[in-house]
Amino acid sequence: MSRHYEVMVILDPSLDERTVAPTLDNFLNVIRNSGGSVEKVDVWGRRRLAYEIKKNAEGIYAVLDLQSDPDAVKELDRQLSLQETVLRTKVVRRTVPRGTKAAQKIAAKA
Amino acid sequence: MSRREPRVAKRKRNLLRANGVREVDWKDTALLRQFISDRGKIRARRVTGLSPQEQKQVATAIKNAREMALLPYPAARRGA
Repeated sequence: MSRHYEVMVILDPSLDERTVAPTLDNFLNVIRNSGGSVEKVDVWGRRRLAYEIKKNAEGIYAVLDLQSDPDAVKELDRQLSLQETVLRTKVVRRTVPRGTKAAQKIAAKA
Repeated sequence: MSRREPRVAKRKRNLLRANGVREVDWKDTALLRQFISDRGKIRARRVTGLSPQEQKQVATAIKNAREMALLPYPAARRGA
């Protein structure tokens, strides 16, 4: 069962922002190898944190849009959180706009 | 005996969601900041004037955003 996921990552601000996208791409191979796909990699860049995380006042934010199996996302999250340069991660099931689910059901019946 | 003033019908509350937001996105900090106090607390429903469903969505979104340091947690002290 493949689902839409949204993964937000906060990276250490001492990293070079230009290296962020390629580094993340490396991790995304887990998704690709499991038959999932990466829809979007959005690097927000450096941003002030609302509170300090590991003594850092800033962080580099990145949002990944994925279409993947739950297990692959779990593995990606695990690998990311093992990384010293990753301050925090969050995986969220992408919200389906209201009504579309019902619409899909009707479409499937027809 | 003091006569009670007839209660004036409350003016329609400003439904912020009417500003074109149908689904609350937890990454939209500019929107969510309107629903927290200076202290960082989530505003009550009687203040925001949202429906229970909307308030729930906003509250969950704020909590998600807090976890990712996009919004502050309620400050224990004044001015923090």
